[in-house]
Amino acid sequence: MTSHADAAGARVPTSRYLVATPRLRFWQRVTWRRRVVPWLFVLPILLINVAVVFGPAVASVYYSMTEWSGIGEAKWIGLDNFRRLFTDDSFYRAFRNNLIWLAMFLTIPVAMGLVAASLLMPVRRGAMLYRLSLFLPYVFPSVIVASIWRSLLNPDRGIGATLSDWGIGGLDRAFLGDTDTVLPTIAFVDNWHFWGFLMLLFLASMQNIPADLYEAARLDGANRWQEFRDITIPGIRPTLVFMILMTSIWSFLTFDYIWVLTQGGPAGASEVLSVLVFKAAFTQLEAGYASAMGLTMSLLAGLIIGIFIVLRKRGWEI
Amino acid sequence: MNLAFVARSRLIVSLMLVAVVLSGIGGFATVRPATAQGGPELTMWLDVTGGSTVADCIVNDVISAYNAQGGPQVNATLQPNGWTATQTALAGGAGPDIVITPGPSFANELARAGQIIPLDAIAQQYDWPATFAPWSLELGRSGEQLFSIPNEVETLVLYYNKTLFETNGWTPPTTIDEMMALSQTVSDAGVIPFAHANAEWRPANEWFIGEFLNHIAGPEVIYQALTGAIPWTDPQIAAALEPLTQLQTNGWFMGGLDRYYTTTMADASSAFAYGEAAMKIEGTWFQADADTYFDEAGQEWDWVPMPSADGSEIYSLGIGSTYSINANSQYQAETAEFFNFYFSPATQATLVATCGLAPAPVTIPAENLAGLDERMARIIDRLATAAAANNYGYTTWTFFPPRTEVYLYEEIEKVWAGDITMDEYLAGAQAIFAEEFAAGGNPPVPARS
Repeated sequence: MTSHADAAGARVPTSRYLVATPRLRFWQRVTWRRRVVPWLFVLPILLINVAVVFGPAVASVYYSMTEWSGIGEAKWIGLDNFRRLFTDDSFYRAFRNNLIWLAMFLTIPVAMGLVAASLLMPVRRGAMLYRLSLFLPYVFPSVIVASIWRSLLNPDRGIGATLSDWGIGGLDRAFLGDTDTVLPTIAFVDNWHFWGFLMLLFLASMQNIPADLYEAARLDGANRWQEFRDITIPGIRPTLVFMILMTSIWSFLTFDYIWVLTQGGPAGASEVLSVLVFKAAFTQLEAGYASAMGLTMSLLAGLIIGIFIVLRKRGWEI
Repeated sequence: MNLAFVARSRLIVSLMLVAVVLSGIGGFATVRPATAQGGPELTMWLDVTGGSTVADCIVNDVISAYNAQGGPQVNATLQPNGWTATQTALAGGAGPDIVITPGPSFANELARAGQIIPLDAIAQQYDWPATFAPWSLELGRSGEQLFSIPNEVETLVLYYNKTLFETNGWTPPTTIDEMMALSQTVSDAGVIPFAHANAEWRPANEWFIGEFLNHIAGPEVIYQALTGAIPWTDPQIAAALEPLTQLQTNGWFMGGLDRYYTTTMADASSAFAYGEAAMKIEGTWFQADADTYFDEAGQEWDWVPMPSADGSEIYSLGIGSTYSINANSQYQAETAEFFNFYFSPATQATLVATCGLAPAPVTIPAENLAGLDERMARIIDRLATAAAANNYGYTTWTFFPPRTEVYLYEEIEKVWAGDITMDEYLAGAQAIFAEEFAAGGNPPVPARS
């Protein structure tokens, strides 16, 4: 028989405690149930995440420092791929296009979403219909949306041609075939599908603003613009800032609409970093260089997140 | 203590652990279903990214016939993005027994990675050198060994709307000068000279680059450039691409650069069939769809060799796919046996005549091609004759290293847009080619005898 020390330090038989407090098996203990069991529940998804996200992410860091075709052995070349990036005109051009894309998506859909949400806020009759119709494009697959818009933008059979037949000229142009108009045109198509999503989020956020704030403002003589500026915007600031953050990150990852509509052409006028990465990895058999570009994109996204964190720590209300 | 809760927790945790262990095992396991006969089953992934019509035909008319012989069975899977799937599976030590790649440069990479096996002994066993055209097996070499069998021999020709030509009294050109003069005549008549577009397939640019290089500079010059004997900045190469730039800037491809970049293949083919456009430089693959458009329009098409500088008949060789044996295959001998069946003249005749597939580089007896469209049969015959007489050129997707190829068809748009000069364009090509050539990444180029 074993023994334990009691509160006074005297040795007493264990059987005395077994009678008072049954010995618990390890899975019956509170520590196990609170600290270990929850982890076991998330373990499967954690393992999957490690296998398909974390593992490849770490691997891509390694491959970014190799010369690798995507097939067979990789040859270690240190930072050569990153040095090459700094001398690659295609990379600079694609990066510039990403910045233009970012500027477009941080302004146009955000502004459209805010305005539409503000206008829809007081609407009661048919509100669901309006919201649904504006949000609906977001749920369509991007490939379908892009294919439909390619037909609509056809200079001979699309909207422009129809308007031209009605005497409204100037729009029967090949917008996707002109280096000056191709990027804004693809952004227009992407925005057509995207801005309703922003509108819905802003609207949901606006509905949480207490109505008495608006009433008080009206009593003080505030007009609609002043209500919007001084009540609505501060009231939805967390949502607004979060969506600006996400839109910034998404702008560096944009791929589908550009790939379906132009594959980066003509003459590279719509090429962005993700398109460049795809081509390098799968058509030029330069998976190592593509990894370096992909890692650079991740660093850019990390930079954006870092800026937000720093601003928040400095007291910005974001 | 809630004992029921403890019991449930134990059960759930146990099931989770079992599931985790099993999912880990399942992730690495390879399942090989048993065949009806219990014998070897060879796996094959047929790419259906562009549609499944041809793949269905291969399965129904060729693989079924092979399986009916009662030996090893071939299990063909229709696989979207087949090459990407194959590449990924091979890297993981799995993949189909029969490895199909989009061309010799890709097979070359697999060979260098040790993911496919050498076929030299098998080639001797089945006497493939007697079956295949001499140049073709050279294309499958990596270093000194044969690793892949070229399949789907393609070339490009000048198609023309025969009805439109006869109505206007135009004659198909035989030289580049005649083609340029005819383009002006066609344009003056209010007809688009060429029904070309790349909206859906931007690499279509390389069809024209390859044709102008081979038919103006000549195959010998391109061979020298591909083997590093002369640089891509050679004046003969620049001169060969100038007429292409002229055609584009004149708006003779689909009516203008913007239309060239935005017109779909279907619209371009339709314009060609209805006589809104007169000619089309395209590959043998166009014939599979040509009748669909022309029958609907009630007009006729025909073809002539792509015009050359001096009027000589030159055909650029292209390989649509290659076949190899997976290094991890359990059934390498059986796969070789299937290859011997698949690349036999009789099977190839079925693939050409029934499935509309371009033939492998084997000699198909004329009687086996009975029923094939005369125009297609004529191309097969002329191409085989030209290749045997060394009058063949080099398509970019078969003979050029991957980065150089992509550079050529992407950056040419900057020349057409006036962003860079032809000299700058070719200097860039030379820089990239030199890197790839030095690294040994260029596909094999058979010596010109």
